[in-house]
Order: sequence, then structure tokens, then C-alpha cells
Amino acid sequence: MSDLEGNFDVIILGTGLVESIAAAALSKAGFKVAHLDNNSYYGGDEANLTLDELARWADNRSTPLEKYEKISSYLVAQRTKFTSITRSSAVPDHARHYSISLAPSLIPSVGPFISSLIASGVSRYGGYRLLERVGIYSSSKGLQNVPGSKGDIFKSTLSLIEKRRLMRFFKFATGKFESSNELQGHEQTPFPEFLQSKFSLPQEIVDAIVYALAFCASTADVTLHALTRLRNYFQSAGRYGASPFLVGHYGGLGEIAQGFCRVSAVNGGVYILDKKTEDITPPSTSADKFVAHLADFPSPLTAGVLIAADDQLPESLQPLLTKAQNTDESLMARCIAIIDQPILFPPVLSSEGLSGDGVNFAPVSSGEEDAGGQSSASTRLASALAEAPLVDTSIIIFPPCSVEGGSSIKVAQAFTTGAGTFSAPEGKYVVYVSIPIKDGEDPEALMEPYLNTVFSLASVSEPLFKVAYVQHISFPSSSTPTIDLPPIFVTPALPPHVAEISDYANSAAESLFNRVVDHLKAKIPQAWTRERSGEEGGGDGDVFAEIMVPMWPPLGDEEEAGEDE
Amino acid sequence: MSAIYVKLGCVESPSPLWAHRRLSLLADFLTSLAHHCIIHRLFYHDLQSPQLPQWQALHLALQTRSVQVKLVLLGEAAVGKSSIVLRFVSKEFQPNKEPTIGAAFLTQKCLLEDRVLRYEIWDTAGQERFHSLAPMYYRNAQAAVVVYDVTKAASLEKAKTWVKELQRQANPNIVIALAGNKIDLVQSSPSGSGSSSAAESEDEADDATATPGEAATSGAEAENLRQVPREEAQAYAQEAGLLFFETSAKTGEGVTEVFTEIAKNIPIESILASSRGAAGRPGTAGIRPGTQESVNLGENQPKSRDACNC
Repeated sequence: MSDLEGNFDVIILGTGLVESIAAAALSKAGFKVAHLDNNSYYGGDEANLTLDELARWADNRSTPLEKYEKISSYLVAQRTKFTSITRSSAVPDHARHYSISLAPSLIPSVGPFISSLIASGVSRYGGYRLLERVGIYSSSKGLQNVPGSKGDIFKSTLSLIEKRRLMRFFKFATGKFESSNELQGHEQTPFPEFLQSKFSLPQEIVDAIVYALAFCASTADVTLHALTRLRNYFQSAGRYGASPFLVGHYGGLGEIAQGFCRVSAVNGGVYILDKKTEDITPPSTSADKFVAHLADFPSPLTAGVLIAADDQLPESLQPLLTKAQNTDESLMARCIAIIDQPILFPPVLSSEGLSGDGVNFAPVSSGEEDAGGQSSASTRLASALAEAPLVDTSIIIFPPCSVEGGSSIKVAQAFTTGAGTFSAPEGKYVVYVSIPIKDGEDPEALMEPYLNTVFSLASVSEPLFKVAYVQHISFPSSSTPTIDLPPIFVTPALPPHVAEISDYANSAAESLFNRVVDHLKAKIPQAWTRERSGEEGGGDGDVFAEIMVPMWPPLGDEEEAGEDE
Repeated sequence: MSAIYVKLGCVESPSPLWAHRRLSLLADFLTSLAHHCIIHRLFYHDLQSPQLPQWQALHLALQTRSVQVKLVLLGEAAVGKSSIVLRFVSKEFQPNKEPTIGAAFLTQKCLLEDRVLRYEIWDTAGQERFHSLAPMYYRNAQAAVVVYDVTKAASLEKAKTWVKELQRQANPNIVIALAGNKIDLVQSSPSGSGSSSAAESEDEADDATATPGEAATSGAEAENLRQVPREEAQAYAQEAGLLFFETSAKTGEGVTEVFTEIAKNIPIESILASSRGAAGRPGTAGIRPGTQESVNLGENQPKSRDACNC
């Protein structure tokens, strides 16, 4: 056994969400996985960091190059992914009590990601909280709550005809709209235009649907994609509560990536973090496997397949990749601010309450609600605001033209988490502000009016701490799959969309898992027969190649451990 | 003596025999309730079984008073972390146990006066081997058992670094127990069958760092194997504010005491208060009444997906 110590089926470089999901699935399928990361922390570009780690993260990517004697290829790649980084010089106290996400996300309650969380058992490792509020901002009306359900629409102050139009739209959006007359020929029409022309909805409602319910990023987002998202969110509402979205504890996706890594470890995956990969030699005529040499590590690791985050791949292997000819790059200006006051939302009025169930049309009884539920529309006074319940986990949408000096086509979002998700100490809040930008635009100038608005909504003049940066995300523009020869599978970049990133990561991991399993079946039948020989009694690879491997086999009843079988 | 850790992914449907066992287990449990035993084993799943609705009612009744405690194991590879838990949970010992594979966590109920304490025991899953234990591992842990091997001085040093790590990273109220394991190796065997320790020494010896296999020991020879004097470890534990035990997963000596003492030292009232406090916090007003702050993902199946276009 000991001579097999360094032999694996798969070596995975990077512990980002996609790599971690793939590691868990491959380990569960019985493959030997070695999972490595250059960083001392889990999660890669989806990591959750303490404040001091975040400060170091920012410094490593912004310190002038001449100050480095030697710089790793990982850091070189990271410095092109994250640019224009600035941060407050002083890190506040209790830095370790923060858990800041590099990829803030809302997890839809129905979708492939949540299914994977449950099917893999990762859901039992961590906690989740419902998104409490979605707010929409306009310069004229300030911050308003966005109704959370159909029931809320009935209770709202809209005119009867508007309600009917809106209900007609909801019926359309939750149904099989793909084959509907309304959509024919308008799949690629900008969504706001579609809503106005086909459903005659007033601007204010269009804004709420397009930006705060469907989370479109600009006025140009196309109808079909937005409608598909919207239908998914409608299906998500009510599964765990009124909100369609969950927010993971301790910073979300980074913590979840650690959960998937634990599943891999529990199934035999070997974890080596914070070790520099000195070199990886590809399979050749003399050796049929990748051989990885790690710094300060006794023996090399070998494997037939390599999975890597693009920035963790050693330089020597880069030329082997068939680079996609054209890549589209999208840029997202981001700012993470720590504030010591909650954002003040208007109280949830009984007429537009978020507290009702989707099917509960009855007025919310005051007995079940505290201060917020009892106030009526006419008492929206400062005193009511002061008594309004503190909102811990929320997202505020700034549609185009909603803030003076802000963008007229792009949407900014301010996602806030607090002690309720254990991402900040009691009384402190982490606000993630983001807005898509174009190359050449000044991120700081673009961000400023939104930041100032957020701070004024929380009645703070200055944040305790602030990190601002621009994230570059490049996608191959052609959809033709790249040929992976030698077997290096590079994981794709994740879209910066707050509510899409988790499902996208899951789909990417699933496709990766299937490709790797197919490859191992075809190229390394012994790995395959070794795994299955106990059940199937041996045989040749071709027979076994027909067997489908599920991404998540049924969970065993681990909790019954202790009984004799 | 078959594998105790049920490997993820293999499902077995409960046979009538299982159902029978459940009943006898419960009968056992009720007896122990009556006798006010402090600790009794009880499996969460048994009570949750849909086949036994009457027990579900009982379960709910108990659940209202039960406190869930996350307990994490820490320590160098091959000091016997999993073996201690195995002894505690199933009263068993497996010589030549493979390094830990296959258990997400184990649960064990502990009866403490009028309260049920449900331990959720997390094993490192081998992630400590290359210092790659994720912070997620210690999150919300209310208790930790840091294990060292009394026959390996270096393992106590490693234990001390884990204690520091916990004090730096984990919940400030965490109850930490230091356990010096494998004391059967340093005790002269009264029956003269000292060879039993040979089996123990092979325990987990497949790891490169494991104790090399010792021959049968007796008397003074056994004491010679000891590299960590009890007094030294105890003094450190006292200084660092840890509970201290010497244990043998092989014989069971001291194992139950570790978990009982932790149970007595857990600030149960404050755990209960904080969970009550959380549920009643103003921030929950936006969530439908009765919904807890934390969402249990496994609870609700998605609504029918008739809108799916396929």
C-alpha cells in the first residue's frame, strides 16, 4: 500500500467552488483525489477571508512589482484578474471575527446548486439564512421594499388595473412562456422594453421586476434569459420561507467550498494547502502520468488527470493548453465596506409585507408580528423608522438613473450581511457594492455616488474599513469545447452575477465531473475496474464504460454509525 | 466487529431486524430515563424513523429540551482520535484501523440530569495531515477534544498548537478537553497478557508517523514507553484552562469520562439562551412567523415543478 501513497487518479489545483464540488463528486465516485492549493486558505476566488486576510489579499495584488524579488505565476495571474485595488490603511479590531466573501452570493432555494448541497450532504455542515429584504432605490422615493410574493401584490397600493396587468404577467412568467405568443420573436429584446410593450406596465413596476426580481445587470439584458431566471426565483419562493434566496453563514460560497472539500476528504481525498507547486511534468513517452513536485514535500504526486483553476496551473503547462482564440472580458467594480450601523429600511407595512406566505392573502395579524407589522401606511414617520426592525441580511438595487451621478444604463447592487450570518461581529455590517464597468472607466468615480447613498441610508459618514477593486472575468466567446490533450481540465471563470454564480458553478462542476469520468473510463480502465470490480466481478473497460456514474450517489446514513452491520 | 463508519453512498434499507433493534434501543433508553442515568446511547435516526410515529412524538418532547453540541476532534495523525470516538459511541475498539475515511460526523445523545445533550462529533477526515484543516471545521464548535499519545512527546507539542489555534479561531466559550491516549501501552497488564498492547500499537500504524509496533510489554518496560508524564500534561492543561484526562480507546478507560465532564462544563443555559435570543431577535421580522433564523436545507422538498418545460 505504501508505494501507492503518492499515486492518484486526479490531481486538482485550486480549491475554488467549481474545483471543490468536482473534488467531492470524484472522491464519492471512488477516484483517488489529491487536492492542492497555492493559498493557505480554501476557496480561491470564492474564498471567505477574515479582515486581516482580506487586507493581505489586497496588498499581495497591489504592491508594486519591483518590491517583489520573485513572484509566483499564480500571483501574476491574480494581479491581472484583480486590478485598481485600494484599501483603508488601518484594519479595525476583531479582524478575525469577520468572514468576508470574495464572491458574495444569493443562493436560489430551488436549483442545481441547492440540490447538490443536499445530495452531497454539505448542507449539514453549515448554516443558511433567508435573505430578509430586497430594496429598490430611487432618487425621488428613496429606499423602498420590494414585494416578496404574489400575496404582497394583492395587498399593495397599486390600482386595480395595474394589479390585473401584473397578475397577468406573473401568470405568464411562471408558465411555459417559451412557446407563448407574447415571447415569439422577442427572446432577444431588452427586458424592460418587452415588459412595457407586451404588458403595459408602468415604469416603476418595470424597474422593480427587471432589476430587483430578475436581477438584470443593465437596461440591455435580454428577455428570454431574464424570464428564465425570474421563473426559477418564483419557484424558489416559499420553499424555506417567503424569500426565494438563501445566504450562507460565514461568508457563503467560500464556506460551502470548504464543505465540499470535507466531503472529498471524508471519502479519501488528500488535502495539501499552502505548498508551492514547483513543477508538474505532463505524461510523456517515458511516463504515462502527470508528476507533481511540491516544495517542502517528501515525495512527488502522480495522477492520470489534472484539473486546474487557470491561475493555479504551473507556467510549464500553460503552452499545452489550446487557448480559446477570443475571450470576452467583463469587468465588475467592487467595494467591500464595513459599517457599524444597519441600513435603515422602511418598516414592512401590512399592505406590502414580506412576511406573508405566497398563498396567504389575509392581512398579517398583529399578534404574529412585532413593530413593523403593526404600522400602517400613513405612519411612515421618522419615529417609525427608528423603531423599525433592524435588517441584517439584505440587498438594495440601484436601477439605472436612480442615483445622481450614477450610471444611466448599469445597475448597482449593495448586498449587506451582518452578525445574523456570522459574517461580522454583533453590530457591524459588511456591505458589498458592485457595478459592471467598461474598460477605461474610472471605477472609483463610478462607485462613489452609490457608496455615499449606502452610507447615508445607514447614517454613517465613513466606513470602518474599505477595500475597492475591479474584477476581470474572461469567458471564451466561442462555445466550441476546447480539446483537452494532454488531460488537463481547466475550470471556467464564474459570472459575477450575485444570484447566478452558485448554480453556474454547479453546472460547470457537473460538466467537469462528467468529462473527467468519461476520460478516466476511456483512458485508464484499471482505475475504473478497480473501483467497480467488487460489485461487478471484473471485466474489461469497454463494458464498464457503459455504466453511468451519478454525480451524487445516495447518502449513506452516517449518523447510524456505531451499529454492527 | 464490522466497519463502524458507514461509508457515504451505500444505502441499505432497514430490515425488520433493524426495526426490532430500534425498539429495543428505545426500551433501553426509556429504562435509563427512569433510572436517571447520566449517559445513554441513543440514535437520533431511530427516533426520527417514519415507521415509529409514536416515538416521533416522544422525540419532539425530548427535542424541546435537548441541546445540540458540536464537538470537534483535534490532534496529530494516529494518536487515536477516531478510536476514542468509536469507543464512546459504540463501545468498540478496532485494532489496525485505517486512517479515518468515511464519516461526516457521528451523533450521540448524552442524558444530563433533565436535559438531553446531543453530541455531533466531527472527525478531521485526515485533513490535519498536511495542516489543511478548514476553518469551517471549528465553526460553532462548543467543545473540542484535543488528543495526544502518551508514548509520543511530540504529539503533546502538536496538541498545544491545536489548543492555541482553537483559542484564537473558535467560539470563545468553547470547552476544551486534553486527552492523553494509549495509556494501556504504559500500564503493566495485571493479567499478564501484556501482548494485548501489541495490537494497540499497530493501531493506525499504517500512517508513517504512527507509533512503531512495540513488542509485548510488562511492568517497568511499559512505564518506559511513556514519554509524556501525567503531571506534565496535567500542569499544562491547568494552566491553559483545559479539562484533562488520560484515556485508552482500547480498554475504554477514561473515555466516557471525557464526554461526561465536557457535558457538565458546557454552558448549556447560555447556548439555550442564545438560540432563544436569536429566534426572538428583531431581525427576524421579515421572515414568516415560526420560521427559525437558520434554515434547514434538508427539510422542505421543492414544490412541484410543473412549470418545467420538458
